[in-house]
Amino acid sequence: MTAFFQGLGLPFAAAWTISTICGILLIALPVMLAVAMVIYVDRKVWASMALRRGPNVVGPFGILQSFADGLKVFLQETIIPSAANKGLFLIAPIITFTVALLAWAVIPFNSGAILANINVGLLYILAISSLGVYGIVIAGWSSNSKYPFFSAMRASAQMISYEVSIGFILVCVVLWANSFNLNDIVKAQHGFGLGFINGFWCSPLLFPMWVMFLISSMAETQRAPFDLTEAESELVAGYQTEYSSMAFALFWLGEYGNVLLMCALNATLFWGGYLPPVELAVLYLIPGWIWLILKIAFGFFVFSWVKATVPRYRYDQLMRLGWKIFLPVSLLFVFLVSGYLMATGHFA
Amino acid sequence: MELLRSLQITLAEEVLSVSGLVLLLVAAWGGDKAARLISILSVAVLAVCALIAAPALCGSAMGPDVTAFAGQYRADAFAAFAKLLIYAGAGVTLIVAPAFFERVRGMRAEFPLLVLFAALGMGIMVSAGDLLALYIGLELNSLASYVLASMLRSDERSAESGLKYFVLGSLASGILLYGVSLTYGFTGTTSFEGIRLALGHGLSTGATFGVVFVLAGLAFKISAAPFHMWTPDVYEGAPTPVTTFFATAPKVAALSLLMRVSLEAFGAQPHAWQQIVIFAALLSIVIGALGAIGQNNIKRLMAYSSINNVGFMLIGLACANQPGAAAMLIYLAIYVAMSVAGFVAVLMLKDADGEPVEAISDMAGLSKTRPGLAAALAAVMFSLAGIPPLFGFWGKFVVFQAAVQANLLALAAIGIAASVIGAFYYLKVVKVLYFDEATDKVTGKSDLAHTVLLVIATLFISPLGYLLTNWLHGLAGNAAAALFHVA
Amino acid sequence: MIQAIAFYLFATLTIFSGAVTILARNPVHSVLWLILAFFNAAGLMILIGAEFIAMLLVIVYVGAVAVLFLFVVMMLDIDFAQLRAGFIKNFPLGFALAFVLLAELVMGVGAYKAGGLALGTPDAATAPVAGLSNTAAIGALLYSRYLFLFETAGIILLVAMIGAIVLTHRQRGDVRGQKPSSQISRRPEEATINLQPEVGKGVTL
Repeated sequence: MTAFFQGLGLPFAAAWTISTICGILLIALPVMLAVAMVIYVDRKVWASMALRRGPNVVGPFGILQSFADGLKVFLQETIIPSAANKGLFLIAPIITFTVALLAWAVIPFNSGAILANINVGLLYILAISSLGVYGIVIAGWSSNSKYPFFSAMRASAQMISYEVSIGFILVCVVLWANSFNLNDIVKAQHGFGLGFINGFWCSPLLFPMWVMFLISSMAETQRAPFDLTEAESELVAGYQTEYSSMAFALFWLGEYGNVLLMCALNATLFWGGYLPPVELAVLYLIPGWIWLILKIAFGFFVFSWVKATVPRYRYDQLMRLGWKIFLPVSLLFVFLVSGYLMATGHFA
Repeated sequence: MELLRSLQITLAEEVLSVSGLVLLLVAAWGGDKAARLISILSVAVLAVCALIAAPALCGSAMGPDVTAFAGQYRADAFAAFAKLLIYAGAGVTLIVAPAFFERVRGMRAEFPLLVLFAALGMGIMVSAGDLLALYIGLELNSLASYVLASMLRSDERSAESGLKYFVLGSLASGILLYGVSLTYGFTGTTSFEGIRLALGHGLSTGATFGVVFVLAGLAFKISAAPFHMWTPDVYEGAPTPVTTFFATAPKVAALSLLMRVSLEAFGAQPHAWQQIVIFAALLSIVIGALGAIGQNNIKRLMAYSSINNVGFMLIGLACANQPGAAAMLIYLAIYVAMSVAGFVAVLMLKDADGEPVEAISDMAGLSKTRPGLAAALAAVMFSLAGIPPLFGFWGKFVVFQAAVQANLLALAAIGIAASVIGAFYYLKVVKVLYFDEATDKVTGKSDLAHTVLLVIATLFISPLGYLLTNWLHGLAGNAAAALFHVA
Repeated sequence: MIQAIAFYLFATLTIFSGAVTILARNPVHSVLWLILAFFNAAGLMILIGAEFIAMLLVIVYVGAVAVLFLFVVMMLDIDFAQLRAGFIKNFPLGFALAFVLLAELVMGVGAYKAGGLALGTPDAATAPVAGLSNTAAIGALLYSRYLFLFETAGIILLVAMIGAIVLTHRQRGDVRGQKPSSQISRRPEEATINLQPEVGKGVTL
């Protein structure tokens, strides 16, 4: 894109700046739009599984429901509790929202269509997603109210616990792809399964990792069945209890943005990213970004499906799963994967 | 093949760490019931490691043949000498600990493991050929030591001593690390040989700062004045077997490390650190002697005594030559024996309920109730004071001899004068033991293992120890020669 | 140009947030400023081309260490009046320490200005390998030349873990632990009974 702007007679620095800003907008705006849509999809899927209709009033099939909701919160009065720590109270939703968008910079939408093609892309995603917890923790603390505070405590423990196993799962993928660059990781999945299937999920050593990644990413994004930070029966609405209007909306956007990001990561790491699911020449006629979006959409459907069907975990069960099962198993698989790769001379 | 060779040279460390990990699993499944078994196995492991280390000492190993991992690790005679003392100190701790802890139901399966890992860290300290290895070994040892100090959770003093040790210890580590980074910055390398070469071209201001900070950090670990403040509190608060450990193994490790760093890494510029060492030596001797006078707790007294003794040992280092180093090693070996005898005797001082007796006034007239124990304690006190027929005298003698030979006459003279002051409080204890009205406080029974250890250690520091002088001199000579090999 | 701007931005922010960390009255604010300092330090790392270290700095310090810090600090109930009373008492000591450190800094800078300092050149043993990303280069060094120290560092962490468990873990007799396997293997038939109670009779359980 830089070349295009340079072609318009701009110097390199200006062309680079403009093209980067365009790239950011090209990613951020569709992501925000997609968030609005997936909220609607989430509610629809959830409703149909409960044999309800879900949103069906605003627009055809209720498709504009999210926008109506957005308008509603936008027009609401912002209420800041008098005992709250005002600065941090307002910063918290902004952090959550910003962080949810930041990580998209390194997701490859097509071969070469990547905003920041850095060679530690996966580490960057880990780093950014580890920031996500701050929005929640700060919100919980600055609200100066007990339920948000409990929720913040839960959130920090939960996210740290599952980041550990996610880290090890990613190590397995990185070992196989031999790179931290997400574009290289996608390329490494080209024809991975018997030269026909694109995606790491079909390896017997990586399939369990994929399952664990899916579960861990639900815990990491605090989606049901791990939504203990906003467990309404115990904590009212968790860290969001004291929030209203736009601040509340930013949390919503950030939360769904994170879910989408996890789906994108899942698609990129295990389902072959922008590659078609199987090696057929005819499938390559469809552009890569559409494949990626389809995979993200399917991933999100799985998230909704789980949310609609699985009851909420208890907190001690959540911790047990993270530390006593996922951590040792993922550690074992790092060992197995690296052993297998060494034995087969993968790095030679 | 380089890796295989390196792994062969670091065999003692591998045995320690692997068996530590295996025993950790035993502890995880066996729980505190397995503590005694783990202690016994740990002592066996230490013995095996001592056997692995010993040939290097007898064969006076040195040079590139025993250097592993690109100079980061050395299994030379010097390291072997220190390691034997360290393993002995750790082994004694493990032998005396169960009886002490079981009485208060405080014996944890992790205790012997922490001692093992501390011994591993100390082994790496004395074998370090690189600032990184130095720091890693030191931290491994320190971290285990902090936990050991606060092992007795039911005792507030134990927790206090652990916390104090931790806070001051991390401050010292910080200072040391600051010095390490300065040294690296101004010499461009972390290996001792490289630093020696770089400093051979002259000493820049920055490197001087590095040397000073490194020595200050290490002075804390050997509890030399003016960095000694933590010693009395930690020695008093920590459970007595742990104090035994602190007074023996880590002291040997830190002193050996100090020798290695000063003589090897900073060996090209001895005048840069000699004055610091002399200052620390004199100050330690004086503070150790004066501070001990008002103490009524025997463990605090031993703490001041250890500060005092470190001062004498530093005189050997101040000589900055091979005889000085050898003298220091001989003193170190004798000091370990004295500490073991002293602390095992303290462990055996129990009242009728088995409660430890630590106040000196409660030991009055011990010679009438427990003549053997009183005699051993008296021997330790005389030996620590350096009174001639006992072996403690020999250590002081060789150190002063080395100082005189190195033309440090004033230092030797002040040292001798100060040791006279020091003798005062040691003799005071002997007076309490033998000439005061009996209080009949110390009536508790002693463990067999304690008695055996006490007898062995007391025989070593008794005049019979002089039979070993030739052997000890030979070994210390080998070790010192290895230290000066690079030069 | 842009690098210089970025450097000054990151450096200024690092120093500023470092200063606010110690000046902030509220410990939670302190930790948050500390996080900002870490973050900007990571930015500086990226500028010198050490992107792996930068990411690790964020993942480890910001993502894990600081969260735990925040966790603890948020739960502390700090009495500021008491804190200040201690401050006055310890002021002379703190001042003396600060003075020593300041003197050292001044001397160091002075020596540097006077040309008394010549920084050493790094030895060739750890020279960066051309054509390797710095992730791979660090890995290659850690697992060959520094293998011994790397593994020992692992044991240090193990000891820290053992220590934390030894000092805090208490076996309490009155706690009933979960046995997930037996909970899962329990069937409805064993846990419930179906009864058809007659009206007015009630049930006996």
